[in-house]
Amino acid sequence: MKESLSRYERIEAAWNLEEADRVPVSPLNCYILAYQGGISIREMFHEPEKFTEAVVKAREKIGEGDQEDPNITTLDHLSLRPKSGWDQVTLDWRIWDQFPPEGNIPSFFEKCIIEDYDDVMERGFSTLLFNKKIGKDVFNRSLEDFLYYEFEYPEIYAKAWRKFVEEHEVPLIMGGRATIPFELVLYYRGFAKFVQDIFEQPDKVKDMCEFVLEHEILNALKQAMIMGAGEVPGAEKIFFQAGVVGPPYISPEVFEEFVWPTLKKGVDMIVKRGFKAHVHTDGDMTPVLPVLKDITKGLPKGKVLLDFEKTDMKKAKEVLGDKVCIWGNVPASLLCYGTPTEVEEYCQKLINDCAEGGGFILATECETPWNAKPENVRVMIDSAIKYGQY
Amino acid sequence: MGKLSEAIVALNKERVLGAVKAGIKSNTDPIQLIEEAREGLERVGEEFEKGNYFLMELMRAAQIFKEAASLINPKIQECYEDVTMKGKVLIGTVSGDVHDLGKGIVATLLKCRGFEVIDLGVDIPEQVFVEKIKEHDPQVVGMSGLLTTSIPVMGKTVKAIEEAGLRGRVKVIVGGGVVGEVPTSDIGVDHATSNANEGIRVIEDWMKKE
Repeated sequence: MKESLSRYERIEAAWNLEEADRVPVSPLNCYILAYQGGISIREMFHEPEKFTEAVVKAREKIGEGDQEDPNITTLDHLSLRPKSGWDQVTLDWRIWDQFPPEGNIPSFFEKCIIEDYDDVMERGFSTLLFNKKIGKDVFNRSLEDFLYYEFEYPEIYAKAWRKFVEEHEVPLIMGGRATIPFELVLYYRGFAKFVQDIFEQPDKVKDMCEFVLEHEILNALKQAMIMGAGEVPGAEKIFFQAGVVGPPYISPEVFEEFVWPTLKKGVDMIVKRGFKAHVHTDGDMTPVLPVLKDITKGLPKGKVLLDFEKTDMKKAKEVLGDKVCIWGNVPASLLCYGTPTEVEEYCQKLINDCAEGGGFILATECETPWNAKPENVRVMIDSAIKYGQY
Repeated sequence: MGKLSEAIVALNKERVLGAVKAGIKSNTDPIQLIEEAREGLERVGEEFEKGNYFLMELMRAAQIFKEAASLINPKIQECYEDVTMKGKVLIGTVSGDVHDLGKGIVATLLKCRGFEVIDLGVDIPEQVFVEKIKEHDPQVVGMSGLLTTSIPVMGKTVKAIEEAGLRGRVKVIVGGGVVGEVPTSDIGVDHATSNANEGIRVIEDWMKKE
């Protein structure tokens, strides 16, 4: 079937709450790109050109979505920028040569890093970055190594992706990535202590969230500028991760009191500086949809997208359809363990529920797992073409 | 439901500790006190399953319970010397997965509900599960994992337990992430869930039947 719009135009129409030629489709592919592209995780993290070549190979196997995730994680994971960073603090940064079972992918790093909020607020994030619990290798790296990853590597990385976008006309899902302060602080503090803080020192948690916000957003904007925001399609988008900030993790009341203020403020900061906010949520945000309705308040149209995991998409369309583009939510378990027929049925229903009038991107819940069946990812892309014509 | 249970359900630490101190002062049987606190905790679990409470409230209730128990337990030891646990659970996150959060919550809740818990930690190889089952002789083995790739590893671990001739001695429950969304027949476990409180309830039911 002939497609009348470019991929970027199709995506932009959805962001602008308009019908394109068809529903855009964008699985959030991360490690699967390296896996299906035949490179190791080490190569994915250290050799940008090899990585983008792998993306091309992977797309031949899993299908060609309308965008790709450049995995901003790999842009500056070895940089020493004074970032508060989710990447820096919350991931177990063992970079493996192999995928499981011989190796693994970087995973969450769950331990208490912040002992004292006041200390961090007084002395800044260097107290975290140079914390031996998280940055052991920082002390073993050479000066040349520092300089390379600080100044040269991000440019090499961005150049490789710019080339990919230009040659294949595939826009980027994001140019920079930030994390909502509530989630960052939760990981810095550890879940048990954080729960105690919410009940016993709520104002301190709120202060810390405010303190983190600006730093986190500005770092993401800097990443986006390196990736070519304004020139490279998609690089103007900031992936604002708001993972464990809704049910079943926290109540709608806690969301409204602790999460919403910095979520809205962060989105405003992104948009008012000329970027776009892709707000990524995990869990089931259905109970807080009425609050999320105000996410675009005071902002121009077409600047915000809400990405859902377990949320009721039909309900999301009803509540948010005239405000914001919605994204989701083919289950990770279905992509790994389901059949192509099951994936197709799921996608067809999603399109029926959400596509009318535009403002919907068919996507995965959270990310496409690296071990998703290629035929399942491909059928998701085919479903957008088969069922998503406007 | 007594004042102590009600205060736990209300997540009001001051009221819980106040009720415990008053109970101790008036020579209330400490077993009665701990059972009443547990009743409150169970009620919080029920509210969680109904969707009225969330993981954060579940964790908070367990924290308050622990503080209450730290006041009550010395009295129990004074009066009864020894207390029978509900059962023994061996728990760990499977090999290749370093996620601790879900497992930690379940371990805490199990302890609060009166189980002896042996927490092996994260990234636990199959053979370590096998060796620790031999060493501790638990009635239940709990395996946790967040990654989609942890599911086949859970199956392999069950197989290793079978090959060691231990499968008949333990019930096996798996939990975390998408585990509850995946058919479990292939991995040979007795129960799979993504809901912490459902897991606790299933384990308690098993123990009642023993």
